[in-house]
Amino acid sequence: VTVVCPSGHASATTDYCDQCGAPIAPPAATVMAPPPGQATEVLPVIEEEADTSPAARREPCPACGAPRSGDDRYCEDCGHDFTAPRGAGTQWEAIATVDRRQFERQATEGLSLPAEGAERRFLLNAPQMRIGRRRERPGEPVPEIDLGGPPEDPGISRMHAVLERQDDGTYRVRDLGSTNGTTLNDDPRPIATDHPVALAHGDRIRLGAWTTITLQSR
Amino acid sequence: MSNHDQERAMAGFTADIYQNEYLPLDGSEVNAIVTVSATGGGPGTGQPPAAEIVIVDTSGSMDVPKVKINSARDATSAAIDSIRDGVAFAVIAGTDSARVVYPGDGSLAIASAQTREQAHWAASRLKAGGGTAIGTWLTLARELFDSVPGRVCHAILLTDGANEHETAAELDVALADCEGRFQCDCRGVGTDWEVSELRRIASVLLGTVDIIPDAAGMAEDFRAMTERAMGKATGSVSLRLWTPQGSTVAFVRQVAPSVEELTDRAVAVNPLTADYPTGAWGEESRDYHFCISVVPRGPGDEMLAGRISLVEDEEVLSQGLIKAIWTDDQQLSTRINREVAHYTGQAELAECIQDGLEARKLGDEATATVKLGRAVQLASESSNDGTMKLLQAVVEVEDAATGTIRLRRDVDDADEMALDTRSTKTVRVGPAQ
Repeated sequence: VTVVCPSGHASATTDYCDQCGAPIAPPAATVMAPPPGQATEVLPVIEEEADTSPAARREPCPACGAPRSGDDRYCEDCGHDFTAPRGAGTQWEAIATVDRRQFERQATEGLSLPAEGAERRFLLNAPQMRIGRRRERPGEPVPEIDLGGPPEDPGISRMHAVLERQDDGTYRVRDLGSTNGTTLNDDPRPIATDHPVALAHGDRIRLGAWTTITLQSR
Repeated sequence: MSNHDQERAMAGFTADIYQNEYLPLDGSEVNAIVTVSATGGGPGTGQPPAAEIVIVDTSGSMDVPKVKINSARDATSAAIDSIRDGVAFAVIAGTDSARVVYPGDGSLAIASAQTREQAHWAASRLKAGGGTAIGTWLTLARELFDSVPGRVCHAILLTDGANEHETAAELDVALADCEGRFQCDCRGVGTDWEVSELRRIASVLLGTVDIIPDAAGMAEDFRAMTERAMGKATGSVSLRLWTPQGSTVAFVRQVAPSVEELTDRAVAVNPLTADYPTGAWGEESRDYHFCISVVPRGPGDEMLAGRISLVEDEEVLSQGLIKAIWTDDQQLSTRINREVAHYTGQAELAECIQDGLEARKLGDEATATVKLGRAVQLASESSNDGTMKLLQAVVEVEDAATGTIRLRRDVDDADEMALDTRSTKTVRVGPAQ
């Protein structure tokens, strides 16, 4: 099997060009359409009366539902990359919660558990979604998944980890050398710094004193 | 080979990559640590047929003191005991020439209760007398191995003295002929042998080098080496590195369990691909540091900077990808990966010790103090306690954190040689802070 890379080289390897190393986009056939019956779930339900204006007929952003402006590559509302592989049309979301189990496991002295139940949801709409806490200082970089602000978990580093989109549209998590580490699901061992681990629907990323981030695809 | 077999073989090897893929916009140097682990293979993967030769120095000096030749006999017997049934084996006695003391019919014996018994008897009659020409020993071992093609070949070489009865060039020629033919673990007993000479032999023949300071420990060491050789589940495995057009391989280095430069060992497969031999593998794990220089691309661009494959007999056992992604986000690009930083330090540690000891020998105390001081600092930072202990026998540590040391006046030769031979031993990266 030979494929052609973006620079026009014929490559025997199909993931990256065996001449120049450029990533080779998966052929259209492998980007599967969602199975029948689920297709409608991909699109957000717009609970408004039918709108026939030109805006409504434009392609909705798979991440936030805002109509695409012309042939723009990025969504004006959320910055989603329309050209990005969509992982069989899947939208990924990270949901941060206050987790009593994580709190008990960490047993950090001098901290009390804030009220549970509050959820912070983040659409994964960029190739790199950094997890961290924004510092209230101008000029400091702001992580895409900013867990600063109440209930603020002091065990999370300013730049703690990053969710990275892979070629198939799924995400993996990479610890960026955080102070207190990152664990996955029920494994008590922290993941190695800079050693990305692939994530699946329902995986729980545990970090800080009480934070659990659940990954969901829909 | 059927698909099923391939799956089973592949299950035995894994390659894990540790790197910070993000480079600044003008960044061209890609660093990655690759941990290769072999898990011995599943049921039914029998060990390959093996051949083992014990090469014992029987030069005159082995009689002084007498305990050396006595220990060598015992150690040879211990090695013979550890050779499993069916393995082809022989014992060579080396002086200024080489002689097969067992089996002595121009080939190797096949291990069984009976042949081991005969070999014990031959080993007990080893006598010291003559010079040292290590090249002739290696050549004889190679000729014997050549008589049993298709076996995974391993030798143990013991010497107590420098290679005095042949020229360095003669040794080089013999060594070049043996390269890739068999692996050889080298041991020096006493303090009259040359560390650099034995290290070079071990390095070319993909083996280990160590000092046996006390002859009494020899038998145990021989037993351990033979058992390790018997535990090898693969034949010769190569690390195959593909790099993109326009890139250059800055270096390839084994960094755990010890530092071993592999850059010059590259055997070209095609213009973009080279093989680095790693020898036979048992159930073990080794780390490699790859440094590749690539042509920078634009922001957000991704490039495959290296594809690592483990190859045995042209069959790919496992693969790993080294990537580069250019970004203007300094938070991402300026971090140095922990594994890369750790092993860069371990390689510098080995270099500082060797340079420091060399300077000390030449009487350049200023350089020796700086180099060995830096070594103390690096050993302390990385919690390399084994190397730290060896350093303390040669220097007095005032402050490990800053590398402030004093050279000791009366240093035992064996301590200095132990530090030299074991300077390349590394520790793995510790748990996250």
